[in-house]
Amino acid sequence: MRGDRMSAEHLDEEMRDVFQEIANVAMGRAADLLARLLNNYVVLPIPVVNLLERNELKMALSSLKSVDSVSAVCQGFVGSRISGEALLIFNDTSFQDIAELTEFKGDITPDIELELLMDIANILIGACLKGLTEQLDVSFSQGQPVLLGQHLHLQDLVNNQTGNWKRALTIEIPYRLESRNVDCDLLLLFTEDSLAVLESKVRFMLE
Amino acid sequence: MSTPVLICDDSSFARKQVQRALPPGWDIDVTFAGNGEEGLTAIRAGKGDVVFLDLTMPVMDGFEVLEAIKKQDLPCLVIVISGDIQPEAMARVKKLGAVDFIKKPVDAQRLQQVLTDFGIYAG
Repeated sequence: MRGDRMSAEHLDEEMRDVFQEIANVAMGRAADLLARLLNNYVVLPIPVVNLLERNELKMALSSLKSVDSVSAVCQGFVGSRISGEALLIFNDTSFQDIAELTEFKGDITPDIELELLMDIANILIGACLKGLTEQLDVSFSQGQPVLLGQHLHLQDLVNNQTGNWKRALTIEIPYRLESRNVDCDLLLLFTEDSLAVLESKVRFMLE
Repeated sequence: MSTPVLICDDSSFARKQVQRALPPGWDIDVTFAGNGEEGLTAIRAGKGDVVFLDLTMPVMDGFEVLEAIKKQDLPCLVIVISGDIQPEAMARVKKLGAVDFIKKPVDAQRLQQVLTDFGIYAG
């Protein structure tokens, strides 16, 4: 790894700041789509950028720390010598309100929850990645979204999390709705191998 | 006299982007603030006749800054520059007295158009 501003061990303040700002713009676009789908105001958080070991992943999900049960989808992406995955993790108590907001009538079975989860994952992950790629001037191809599990403890989810990485740049975006009990975490992971390219893209933006 | 301009955003990268988008010929005295509280202090000190304000910030967010400006009747023109592009966010900041809303990443032409539209700087 070349360069001393962002190595596998260290993320300097300027780099963190730029990633946070790029994530801020990307998550805003995704939130706009979610707001339209659910006809509700999405409270935008400040994205949290970290460089984490795999066993520290739970730290990147701080907003879901106290949640009993979660469901999650992950979707890989690769392109322009950058690779990573996006995870969308819902607090399971969100589905009742999501169903109401999307005017779904009927019992909320695990299948219905899965459908809602996949629909929202497509919207949020797609819009967020598009926002990132436009700003960084790169392009990603996205894999199929994969269900990581339903009604899991966060720890089990973290243990289940697949993907071949040891250390990653993580961006945590905890979304919640203003007037409803809906909360979810969008977590973007960029693999260690992607850091050098990301850094050069960011450096170009700083010029 | 130079116009006191305040750029209030928690990201130093975003503050630089805004500064670079300002018209080069504009006679201004620029102050930077890293959150809403610092921004409000600068406005009270007369350093923000024109304010470029972010919304998503720690300590005190942009909505709270606008509320405080309104409540205390502080003399400044606020242009919000934010990634929060929900129509609801735009409606709220206008209601709170912001003159206009510019989405991030900030575009220099759009910013200069807003300055012209509101008679702040015509070039």
